Amino acid sequence: MTQRVTSPMILALLITSLGFATLIFAQGAASPPLIYGAYYAGTLFALYLGVRLLLPHSDVLLLPIVTLLTGIGLVMIFRLTYDLEGAENLATTQAIWILVGSGAMFLIVLFFRNYHRLFDYKYLFALGAVALIASTFTPFGYEVNGARLWFAAGPVSFQPSEFARIALIIFFAGYLAEKRDVLTATSRSFLGVQIPALKYFGPVALVWAASLGLLVFEKDLGSSLLFFAVPLLMLYAATGRIAYVLLGGLLFSVGSLATYFLFSHVQLRVKSWLDPWADPDGTGFQILQSIFNIADGGLTGTGLGAGFSQTIPEVETDFIFSAIASELGLLGATAVLLAFLAFVYRGIKISLLAEDESSKLLAFGLTALFALQTLIIVGGVTKAIPLTGITLPFISYGGSSVVGNFILTALLLVISEKAGRREAEQPLYEGGA
Amino acid sequence: MNAHVRRTFYLFVGGFVALVWMLAYWQVYARESLANNPQNGLQTQRAISTPRGLILANDGETVLAESDRHKTPSGSVYDRIYPEGAAFANVVGYWSTKYGATGIEIGENSNLSGTAEPATLDGLINQMSGGPTPGNNVVLTLDPELQRVAYEGLAASDTGKGAVVAVDPNNGEILALASSPSFDPNNIDQTFPELVRDPDAPLVDRATQSLFPPGSTFKVITAGAALEKGLSPSHIFFDSGTYNLPGYTVVNFKGHVYGRVTFTQALVFSINAIFAKIGVEIVGPQALAQMAYDFGFGDSYDDFPLPVSASNLGTPPSEWTQGTLAQNSFGQGPTSSNAFEMALVAATIANDGKMMEPRLVREIRSPDGLILDRPTPSVRHDALPASTAQTLNEMMQKVVTEGGLTGAQISGVKVAGKTGTAETAQAPHSWWITFAPADYPKIAICAMVENGGRGDLAALPIAHQVMEAYLKGGTG
Repeated sequence: MTQRVTSPMILALLITSLGFATLIFAQGAASPPLIYGAYYAGTLFALYLGVRLLLPHSDVLLLPIVTLLTGIGLVMIFRLTYDLEGAENLATTQAIWILVGSGAMFLIVLFFRNYHRLFDYKYLFALGAVALIASTFTPFGYEVNGARLWFAAGPVSFQPSEFARIALIIFFAGYLAEKRDVLTATSRSFLGVQIPALKYFGPVALVWAASLGLLVFEKDLGSSLLFFAVPLLMLYAATGRIAYVLLGGLLFSVGSLATYFLFSHVQLRVKSWLDPWADPDGTGFQILQSIFNIADGGLTGTGLGAGFSQTIPEVETDFIFSAIASELGLLGATAVLLAFLAFVYRGIKISLLAEDESSKLLAFGLTALFALQTLIIVGGVTKAIPLTGITLPFISYGGSSVVGNFILTALLLVISEKAGRREAEQPLYEGGA
Repeated sequence: MNAHVRRTFYLFVGGFVALVWMLAYWQVYARESLANNPQNGLQTQRAISTPRGLILANDGETVLAESDRHKTPSGSVYDRIYPEGAAFANVVGYWSTKYGATGIEIGENSNLSGTAEPATLDGLINQMSGGPTPGNNVVLTLDPELQRVAYEGLAASDTGKGAVVAVDPNNGEILALASSPSFDPNNIDQTFPELVRDPDAPLVDRATQSLFPPGSTFKVITAGAALEKGLSPSHIFFDSGTYNLPGYTVVNFKGHVYGRVTFTQALVFSINAIFAKIGVEIVGPQALAQMAYDFGFGDSYDDFPLPVSASNLGTPPSEWTQGTLAQNSFGQGPTSSNAFEMALVAATIANDGKMMEPRLVREIRSPDGLILDRPTPSVRHDALPASTAQTLNEMMQKVVTEGGLTGAQISGVKVAGKTGTAETAQAPHSWWITFAPADYPKIAICAMVENGGRGDLAALPIAHQVMEAYLKGGTG
């Protein structure tokens, strides 16, 4: 897996520079403090060199993709906010978060090369994940836009669920790898569907239910969906039993119906998805503005800075993809989606090449999280599925999301290092199985 | 386990393909219908966030319309400012995101809005990069001084309603095109609802859009047709004060009886009975209608940037009774026209019978001042042979010299003209068409005051002021 990806790195940084140059020279935007640009480019390039040095066998192509996505994110956030009073510094704030994320990645690469130690603490991670999610119910938690997602301690505020997701995936990877055999070998069958012994399935279901329940009450539908679907996919990958997927699907349908009838905000979301025209200035406003702006872009886009996506509420976070589709068009938006798919492809490849089952499951879980998050939010803003507010990885404005995704990428890198080293030692080994 | 991981990956790939398909649906298939959706305010926002081009008078300096930038919380927007206000509003028009656009603002919209084909390298680069394309500047043929004099003259008239059109006969450039009452286009969004309800219809351009009976000014067309039929200006007629037709009798204005008069004198004294006789006995319906068409009746001047109502003679000539023909011969009955058309009639006679293409746009300039388009003068139509036009010119000079129209005279300049007092149910419309200097014409004017009374009393003084301003000013 060893590769030199210096030119993709430079290309990704050049694309980012071109974006800023367009905004500054063609659109007459006031230049952001250039020192932040230098910090950004320098940090990511140094990170790339550091990873190459520390993890010489890792799949370092992930880094140019991360650089490209964070760069596009910076350009778009700057473009959407540079002339907005009170929000002029959003892009520099995001640049700082990218620096923090890079730092987190570097620490993981430096200290967690032997990531197997993590699985020894899998129950602790499970507990930690539930505690993180529950922390927003403490006096430190607070609501934004009706969803209780935030945790503030002194000057630091973050969204615990962004980190809880990763902790939960570590737990599931460790647990499922350990109990895989007993989960696969089922004892009973019900209506032709084989049911696993409850005592092995229990902890999974418990953690699952605890996290889901909390999230539903926090009104964080996007995270609920992720917390539900990612473990389900991991369960399928570990056991290969379609029965789990069907059972999960059934549970999901029941759960969805129950939440639909229990919570007015869920009904609202579904209604504004099915018929936004019913209330175009109220509940349907956001999704309609998104669709109008996407359509306005056409094939080639309005051009960077020439669109009107500032009309979409929350455009710099959840709806940033609509701004990309509007200004870069179908071609540009497809290119960005391909960059996400490339990341997913590398993640899946890391999972396939990983030696042991826990590593495979961890890489797969992280990749599935990344892929689903992208699909759910892009599907939401394009009205393919009901909208659930989550961030677009690396692109959306938001510190927790950026740092979380850097941690996710760092874990993928350390997993790939191990597989890569093994491959280097056994040159005739054929990847996959 | 790897097989399961792979299968899941195909699921993800399927998801990404579905998203691209969804995007293509919005951005290609449904694009047009979404852009036209009434809930979609993006086109309006696009329109107000790019500066439109300037509209300038013919000096290239007097700004008639400009875009003024001001900051709002969601970016810069541009307001349309009209420094010259009401005097130019019927030509320049207004531009509103609420009520649409009129005048040059809509007639030259593709230039002003920057959506025209890119004409310069900068424009091409801008369009390809999707950058904002500031609109081109439109320089009009209007002389700002003449327009102001014309508008103020109309506004100060008894009824305050009417139109003045001045044209350079040699090249068809419209020097003034005024209509009164007018409106202030600067705050059209607030005033529009009131303006549409106003019974005086200030939003209607009386110079081009309204139609009125032209009265005796039409006699120059009848005279042109008669000259073409071989009638001599010195031909002797005997006027008994009336002209009898089966079922219809023409009576002179105020019942005057003139006795022995020449054809020229019939024009000078505007004798209805004689012109009815000429129309019926010498010209005939087909030749009269053809002459009117040659002068631009029936034509809505589609290339002109303002909408023009076509002047007309009512029903086709084949359906006319002798009474209709008689009335049409002196511009009453079903005949209707406007100041724009009648100014072109005067200009055509002045320009040896050649009607020049009327032009309101002198040139189009890029925002950097580069000339992108400058239409060249062209002959639209040969209405009269030069010799006939010259004869008619001399007859119209006699209208001023022998008709006692001292108010039209300018010392040292030969002035030609023809009055009109078009009878209506209310007070007659006052008309005056004129051109000068008659031996080398520089300007032709038509002034019309709605219900203004006698032609020489209401319309003539306004046209005279415009003419003096032009001939004495530097531009003449």
